[in-house]
Amino acid sequence: MVARPVLLRRAVRSALRPSAKKSITRSFSSTAARLAPNNTPDYAVPDPARATHFGFETVTEAEKRERVAGVFTSVAESYDRMNDFMSFGWHRIWKDHFVASLNPGFSPLTDGPDPRAPQHILDIAGGTGDIAFRMLHTAHVVNNNPDVRVTISDINPAMLTVGKQRSAALPASQQAALTFVEANAEDLTKTTPLSTNLSIPNPNPTAAILSNSVDLYTVAFGIRNFSNIPAALREAHRVLKPGGVFACLEFSKVDKHPLFNTVYKEWSFRAIPLIGQLIAGDRDSYQYLVESIERFPSQEDFRDMIVDAGFVVGGCGYEDLTGGVAAIHKGMKPRQ
Amino acid sequence: MPPNCAAVARLLLRPSTATATATSCPLRAIRAASTLVRPPTSASPQTTPRSLSQSHPRPYHSTTHPPPPSPFTPTESAILSASYAHVPTHGFTPSSLALGARAAGYLDISTSIFPEGAFSLIKWHLYTQRTALAGKKDSIAGFESMSLTERVEALTWERLMGNGEVVGRWQEALAIMAQPTYVFASVKELAELADEIWYLAGDVSVDPTWYTKRASLSAIYAASELFMTNDRSPDFSETWHFLRRRLAEAGEIGDATRSVREWLSFTASAGVNVLRSKGVPI
Repeated sequence: MVARPVLLRRAVRSALRPSAKKSITRSFSSTAARLAPNNTPDYAVPDPARATHFGFETVTEAEKRERVAGVFTSVAESYDRMNDFMSFGWHRIWKDHFVASLNPGFSPLTDGPDPRAPQHILDIAGGTGDIAFRMLHTAHVVNNNPDVRVTISDINPAMLTVGKQRSAALPASQQAALTFVEANAEDLTKTTPLSTNLSIPNPNPTAAILSNSVDLYTVAFGIRNFSNIPAALREAHRVLKPGGVFACLEFSKVDKHPLFNTVYKEWSFRAIPLIGQLIAGDRDSYQYLVESIERFPSQEDFRDMIVDAGFVVGGCGYEDLTGGVAAIHKGMKPRQ
Repeated sequence: MPPNCAAVARLLLRPSTATATATSCPLRAIRAASTLVRPPTSASPQTTPRSLSQSHPRPYHSTTHPPPPSPFTPTESAILSASYAHVPTHGFTPSSLALGARAAGYLDISTSIFPEGAFSLIKWHLYTQRTALAGKKDSIAGFESMSLTERVEALTWERLMGNGEVVGRWQEALAIMAQPTYVFASVKELAELADEIWYLAGDVSVDPTWYTKRASLSAIYAASELFMTNDRSPDFSETWHFLRRRLAEAGEIGDATRSVREWLSFTASAGVNVLRSKGVPI
């Protein structure tokens, strides 16, 4: 009897979003045609006036962008300390596993000339560098492949500045492989290098992140803050090379374990805002954090959004961490 | 499924349903019958990959249902089949996967979409070798005229020969399969292999031996496979003798249990009759 609720949920979803339905069983060869720019569905085109949600509130996409910026500017300084308090340090395990499962820089040698191509990793919403530094360590030290560079992109210069400061502790070779840019993940054609002085915004926007230029696109605990997730997924599809991988680590649903879910919900809605108030002196930002987790789609729904944006997934398309508190979603851009 | 029980019972009484599931196990037959009550779903197993269909493939053979869809999506198949060519030299490792991805026109990083890493390659081997058995059956000389046990022996040998190309790497694969994360998937695959062999051999039993046959063949196959990894004899002739000895033993045990059961039932009924003749009200 398990099939019924699944079918029902799928029916409801497809009824709500008819244009998305047809892409779920896309065949391998038809991907390119479906993704022609004129075929982008309306919901994947950013529109500042469209309604979206900010925690449990309904706001416009433009307003969400501003308010998310406000949240992260206010939490930037205490971000890492708060993560440790809220997850009992467990977020480090998730991030380590996430990076290990991607194994950046791994490239077996064969006879003849070195077959390894340089890898370009784009870490979106990676402000404080948590993921990027782990990527560089895995690539340069574990896999002994110095030809891997990481671009850290964030919409929020305050978070980037924290990451920039932390990167000073890295070996020089790894610092040289890092680039910090300020960009909106829904439109990566306009990026601004991080200005050293926050009060003077950098007036020179650099070139866009080119189409088909990225090997690995990662976004860890960031995508639920985006104003328009389908647009960001399509932008990821654009910048990735064919065969490139989209990887997302994000809070998810614990519906499969009802008892644990109850405890988890109690912890999120009662303890986390309180800890935020005590440690960071900012209750509202952490109230938003738990509400945004609650509003983020389930593992299956988000997997379907990834497939809808033109990616192919392996296996069931996601991996639950700690019973589903967080989940890793991966998708590969198919060959043209 | 309490609401369906009456319908299931009715269906089981109808001869057509009973023959339709004659090759399935007795308990599964009940479940298969219950699926006949439901209307067919619209999802086509040919176009919907397992990952998106959320379906649970039947763990048994049926002549009235389409074969279950491949557990691999087309992209996964493309990378895995290219990677499989590198297994004899690089083993069941991420290196083989990455080399295969390159050969198929993907990037080294593309292999990270396989949620189980190198185990995906092992699963690919197990799945392709198991499904290839149906085709190999026709090339076995005199298959139709063999007895049931001879057919099982011939098919098991064909499957063991499927490991021949990668036998130097098979101990590594067994070590990965024995990891706690993968034990369940590996044992399930072994059970499906045993079911496949008995099905192809033409076994149509619907009694408790459905289970014992599959369990004993699984054990024999796993033992022979392990033996084969250390077999240096030409054409694996030692493994061939090992397999024959194990199958003969299983046959002897089967005969012995049958004899014991016959003796027990005879003695019990005789005892009851003796007591009845003495006037005991049984």
